[in-house]
Amino acid sequence: MFNFIARRLLQIPVVLFVLSLIIMGLMQLLSPQQRAAAFVTSDKQIENLDLIIEKYHLDEGFIVQYKLWAKEVLHGNLGFSRISKEPVLTTIRKRLPASTELALAAFVPIVLVGIWLGTIAATHRDGLIDQTLRVVAIIGWSLPTFVVAIWLVAWVYGGLGWFGIGRLPNNLLIELASGDFHRYTGMYTIDGLLNGRLDITYEALKRLVLPATALVIVVSAGIMRVMRSSMLDELGKDYVRTARAKGLPEKAVIYKHARRNALIPVITMAGPMLGRMIGGIVVIELIFNFPGLGEWAAKAALQLDVTTLLAFVMLIGLIMAVANLLVDIAYVIVDPRIRYE
Amino acid sequence: MSSPDRDVPKRERWYESKRFRRFRRNPLAVAGVLILLFFAGMALFAPALTADRLPRGCMRDLGLGRSEAREALRDPTRAVFWRAMIAPPESCYKIPRVSYSPVPKPPSEKYPLGIASGGYDIYYGIVWGARTSFYIGVLVVGIVLVIATIVGGLAGLFGGWLDNLLMRLVDVVYSIPGLVLAMVFASIFGRGLIKTMIAIALVAWPIYARMLRGNILQVKAQDYISAAHAVGAGNLRLFFKHILPNAIGPMIILASLDIGAIVITASTLAFLGLGADVGYADWGQMISFARSWISNPGGEPLKYWFVWFWPSMAIALFVLGWNLLGDAVRDALDPRSQ
Repeated sequence: MFNFIARRLLQIPVVLFVLSLIIMGLMQLLSPQQRAAAFVTSDKQIENLDLIIEKYHLDEGFIVQYKLWAKEVLHGNLGFSRISKEPVLTTIRKRLPASTELALAAFVPIVLVGIWLGTIAATHRDGLIDQTLRVVAIIGWSLPTFVVAIWLVAWVYGGLGWFGIGRLPNNLLIELASGDFHRYTGMYTIDGLLNGRLDITYEALKRLVLPATALVIVVSAGIMRVMRSSMLDELGKDYVRTARAKGLPEKAVIYKHARRNALIPVITMAGPMLGRMIGGIVVIELIFNFPGLGEWAAKAALQLDVTTLLAFVMLIGLIMAVANLLVDIAYVIVDPRIRYE
Repeated sequence: MSSPDRDVPKRERWYESKRFRRFRRNPLAVAGVLILLFFAGMALFAPALTADRLPRGCMRDLGLGRSEAREALRDPTRAVFWRAMIAPPESCYKIPRVSYSPVPKPPSEKYPLGIASGGYDIYYGIVWGARTSFYIGVLVVGIVLVIATIVGGLAGLFGGWLDNLLMRLVDVVYSIPGLVLAMVFASIFGRGLIKTMIAIALVAWPIYARMLRGNILQVKAQDYISAAHAVGAGNLRLFFKHILPNAIGPMIILASLDIGAIVITASTLAFLGLGADVGYADWGQMISFARSWISNPGGEPLKYWFVWFWPSMAIALFVLGWNLLGDAVRDALDPRSQ
């Protein structure tokens, strides 16, 4: 087990290295002038493109450029983000809590809804509920995240005037910038509680409802489908028949025996689901005006801010690799039959 | 006693097979097919459906005048009818602009679905957008199949270090959420429909390459391959005549059914502003025109509902059609559900 974890940890830098090679390699399709434009932050600099090209060695070969970039990154310098007009690491530090807060707010309902609906569908196999849920799952799976987000903004926020967009109302943001509100975690819901400012927690929660709902709609369908088929597998097994034969109430058979085992395959879905969630968060943050990492990356993509994009992909690669490792470890803990050599 | 030749079973046609019968009796599958037929009809007859509102450039390229176009494009005896339907000039994909006003206008008799911000005719965009969606879906699947066949084929055929290297590359590309990587690629390639499609294909191939590799390994282990080898078939002949044809089928079917997912990614990129050129008939881009008119514009909620409603419904239904079909086909092919 220790060897397994050590080997997987060693793979992470390799994955990041290959990713950076791919993206830097594609960058070679651009002319030195286009690459230099990624560094321009003011009108005055446009006149000095040649200086920028010279300074960053943009007209040299791929290997020279890659070495320069890698050297900076290994020294902890991910570069300067043109979009947020500050060093990349500063922006990540500022914006990561916002995205994490949104992801956490969506994660619990996604898992609960997926497992709950999957169990119901399996126990009512081929009945009306199962058929309805099947259609609902396909619809949820078919809706692009940005369409769901726009429908929620238009109908629930615009039409009904419920909940809100952004992270906090402007007056509170101004107050936070000037007052003595202490940012322990950067997540406003938790910081509000820690500072004894329940109004901030309330306003922040109110603004998390719609983006989190959008994520639940597009992500939980996948969990539901895996849960349904894994639950059906378990319900057909001998130990379930034994449990029923010895007179156990059906509820105990389903919830105490079958469902616990049915959850194991669902854990493998955590990786793909996290991927779908990250893709969704990029779009959702943009539509809900939520200043997180996704919004930053989407804006960077629109203006070819390569420094930002590279850093963002590296960060996502790191998160996905760690998450997948955790999933594999969780697998062993949940199911002692599994062993990694 | 029956004569011996009466016992020979009749050859079963595909439409008589159990699989197809189960597919046909599945109401979801039928619904999916109907939805797709609706969009296919819309895409195919786009010139006739929009004959009275074609943009000027398109009519010029077809060699038609405004008054002439209405009749000619609805008359199957004319050559231009077929030309516009089968190979319309690129200029026909540009949504005609009624005005340059940033304020959307509600549906009217001439513009039944309304006019989007910037004076774009929504009806025209929806109809020609169906063509764009099929075009994107089919072309991206094509590129994906080519990449996956090369990578999966090389890995499966040669094995060893090459297999190892290629599969690690698959792992790396697969480890990043598709949308994120496609967004970065599209940003580097720049705006344009073809460039976006290449960006999406570069992200979508790994799962199919892996699938093909697995199938090739399976086929390679079978007796008839050893038999062919023993008879003296060379490696290349073995691969192209015996292994590949028997391994490639599932990959082609599953990749084609993935058009729904591809259209989701494509429309998302277009919505972010990384898709086709501005004004191209593309549903995702039409929603991005609607960006500033979605939440409670000017204190009147839902006043401009038509700017986002129609394109978003078109995307959702189109993808739903593919997914309903895909779900049913996977069910029919799944040996466990026999």
